[in-house]
Amino acid sequence: MNQTTATAPDGSGAQLELVDVVKKYPGQSRPAVDGLSLTVPAGQTVMFVGPSGCGKTTSLKMINRLIEPTSGQILIDGEDITGQDATQLRRSIGYVIQGGGLLPHMSVAENIGLVPGLLGWDKARTKGRVEELLEMVGLDPAVYRDRFPRELSGGQQQRVGVARGLAADPPVILMDEPFGAVDPITRQRLQDELMSIQEELQKTIVCVTHDIDEAIKLGDQILILREGAEIAQYGAPEEILAAPADDFVADFIGSGSKLKQLSLLRVGDLPLSQPQTCRVGESVDEVVRRVEAAGERSVVILDAQNRPKEYLFLRSLKRHQTVPVFSHELQTVVDQRSTLSDALDAMLVSSHGGAMVTGGSRGDYLGVISYDTVTEHIRTLQTQTGQIRAVPSAGWEAS
Amino acid sequence: MRQLLSRTAGLSREDKGLLCGLPIFVLTVLAGWVVWRLTADLDSIEARLITAGNITQMTWDHVQIVVVSSVLVVGLAVPLGTLLTRPALRFFSPPVMAVANAGQAAPVIGVLVLLALIIGFGFGTAVLALSLYAFLPVLANTITGMRGVDQAVVEAARGMGMSSWQVLLRVELPMALPVIMTGVRTSLVLLVGAGAFATFIDAGGLGTLIQTGIIMFRYPILVSGAIFVALLALMVEWVGRILELFLKPKGLA
Amino acid sequence: MIEFIDARWADILFRSYQHSSLVIQSLLLATVIAVALAVLVTSCRRLTPVANAVSAVGLTIPSFALLGLLLPIVGIGTVPSVIVVSFYAALPVLRNAVVGLQGVEASLIESARGQGMSGAAVLWRVRLPLAWPVIMTGIRVSAQMAMGVAAIAAYALGPGLGTYIFTGLTQVGGANALNYALVGTLGIIILALILDALLVLLSRFTTSKGIRA
Repeated sequence: MNQTTATAPDGSGAQLELVDVVKKYPGQSRPAVDGLSLTVPAGQTVMFVGPSGCGKTTSLKMINRLIEPTSGQILIDGEDITGQDATQLRRSIGYVIQGGGLLPHMSVAENIGLVPGLLGWDKARTKGRVEELLEMVGLDPAVYRDRFPRELSGGQQQRVGVARGLAADPPVILMDEPFGAVDPITRQRLQDELMSIQEELQKTIVCVTHDIDEAIKLGDQILILREGAEIAQYGAPEEILAAPADDFVADFIGSGSKLKQLSLLRVGDLPLSQPQTCRVGESVDEVVRRVEAAGERSVVILDAQNRPKEYLFLRSLKRHQTVPVFSHELQTVVDQRSTLSDALDAMLVSSHGGAMVTGGSRGDYLGVISYDTVTEHIRTLQTQTGQIRAVPSAGWEAS
Repeated sequence: MRQLLSRTAGLSREDKGLLCGLPIFVLTVLAGWVVWRLTADLDSIEARLITAGNITQMTWDHVQIVVVSSVLVVGLAVPLGTLLTRPALRFFSPPVMAVANAGQAAPVIGVLVLLALIIGFGFGTAVLALSLYAFLPVLANTITGMRGVDQAVVEAARGMGMSSWQVLLRVELPMALPVIMTGVRTSLVLLVGAGAFATFIDAGGLGTLIQTGIIMFRYPILVSGAIFVALLALMVEWVGRILELFLKPKGLA
Repeated sequence: MIEFIDARWADILFRSYQHSSLVIQSLLLATVIAVALAVLVTSCRRLTPVANAVSAVGLTIPSFALLGLLLPIVGIGTVPSVIVVSFYAALPVLRNAVVGLQGVEASLIESARGQGMSGAAVLWRVRLPLAWPVIMTGIRVSAQMAMGVAAIAAYALGPGLGTYIFTGLTQVGGANALNYALVGTLGIIILALILDALLVLLSRFTTSKGIRA
């Protein structure tokens, strides 16, 4: 029961190593996983991608031994886990699956407190941990603690699933298509949240996905597999996009690989412009004077909490006496952790050629990212990738 | 035979197993009993009661009670159940279902004895009591089956210009048939078992052997009666399954 | 009728108690055996169709016939009553427990195992709680059947309200024949309805709010 704390006293990730791991099912001529060897550095996120049936999920499930490897070694922090008691082992590895896999007869708190309970934590400690985790995944404990899974939306269930995987503070977390069951907008939001959680916790995460864009966005490393879990390429997203190892990888990442690099970059990485702003309730005449003096034609409207409410042309604003309150949901706002490709989507619905950027948990206004800045950046990228391609493929291609 | 085979294609393994296994089991037990009868050392009372003629007669009585009751039950419960699911009478079906469920708590032996005490002993009373008893499952299953018919299909049929009679006869009843048939089969088997009590009110049947066996403390008679009642029930179950198979519309799973 | 009941009040209550006691004890025994069998059968795939066939065929065998088959083996007394009633009570529970346990999604079980639950923990904390509502439905069906079977067991074996029905039958023509049969029959109906209501309550209290219909 002390495995968790023994291997990772600070709660952060442990190194994970697969050595020549084989899974052969009786009656099948080809092994499902044929000698997979791989090292995942502590605190990194590795995305397993590949066509269906390539053995990526089998490989994942061998790490917590839901599937027993036929041969080979799996080491966590240098310790072989293939000989350990499987049930004990699983309590020290987080496991998050598609849809959350929540137990429908248990409340949210019971679901999250499951592993701490199995590990024999006392009630008060478990309760405190549950509250902490619910806060972390953005669900108000007072509201959600006693709800049952069927009373939650798909996205909320998935958040609870992530919280459950983190419950006992395991150094290694396995995720099997974690966001496959939710709609695209929720998925993007959950990905962003996972990234900020991971930034803080620095766990070792192994995540299976069929979505190459998700892999590029979330992964520190991407492992592309072909049938029999044979490694087609293992490397950082930038490397794989810039220099696909062969046609299989190139096909798999798709033709828009230049554009895919937009998924690598965060809005916060680019310079933001600072157009004129005004507050709800200010006199319109004054605002117009100030904006025109600055030589601009539109203005960002902020509320009292410094959150962006609208991005308006002056001629639309002139219809009002004072700056009005806008309460509609804005589509042209992105978080600074969003990818450039998310930002481009937001810009497409904007008439100003730019999207407003927010940061922090309360959504403070930071500035505007303009279409010109992004296209300029793509141009520089294209010259750079030419150079990367010239460098002999380095690093993560595993044995 | 080929038709039978083609119809069994969609069945689960256990259903197929029962379809072949039941008659084999019944015939085996029957053969075993015959061998026992021919070799066993019976006293005069036993030998006089357990004869082929006697048993055939009792089986025939038993079958008559069951068949008459089930014709009555199916003839009344299915139309009534159908009626209770028509829009005009639909509000009646929940209370009827509640009564039907509560009525299943009545012990058949109690109903049988009560009726006999009120209207007299004999075949007619046995049939009436058994019909009352088997009525409820068929009624309940008819209502359930009719309610379970996909309303979109009914609407589509109406949209094509079918009259409400045509919708009932050509869409609703065929689609509800599997559920109704399950109710009928359950009832038939219940009737065979309940028919064994007919002997208590002088209506004959295979129960006579069991009753005599218990009263006279003759185990061979008792066990022979029990075996034949059980075999008859199994055969009826088998016939019910075959009927179900043939009456089920082909397209339904 | 009122006089009849008034005169035998204590006896009627005692027989009702005997009847319910026989049914409830058999029901408990049947539930434990049937659920244990269902757990065994669902963990070994090949046994499942066998169990389903056994419960289908078992329910076909008339209670009077089974009674006849058992008498020579176990003799007369309370034990055969418990055996006969338990046998019938076990079959619907077995069928429903198999269906209920099979109905638990495999992905959910794997998810629970993936969290580090042992096989026993998965059974007690995941599979059984999730199958419980279906098992309870089976128990309710069993309870109704057991009430009727117990009445028939009374013919040969004694205790309970069933004896009233048979007393009525043997006293045919007598002044109290109808009263005996009526009290026996109605008594069993009332007991069955009370037991069913109690089981509905029990089911409500023992089923998690998260999966209640």
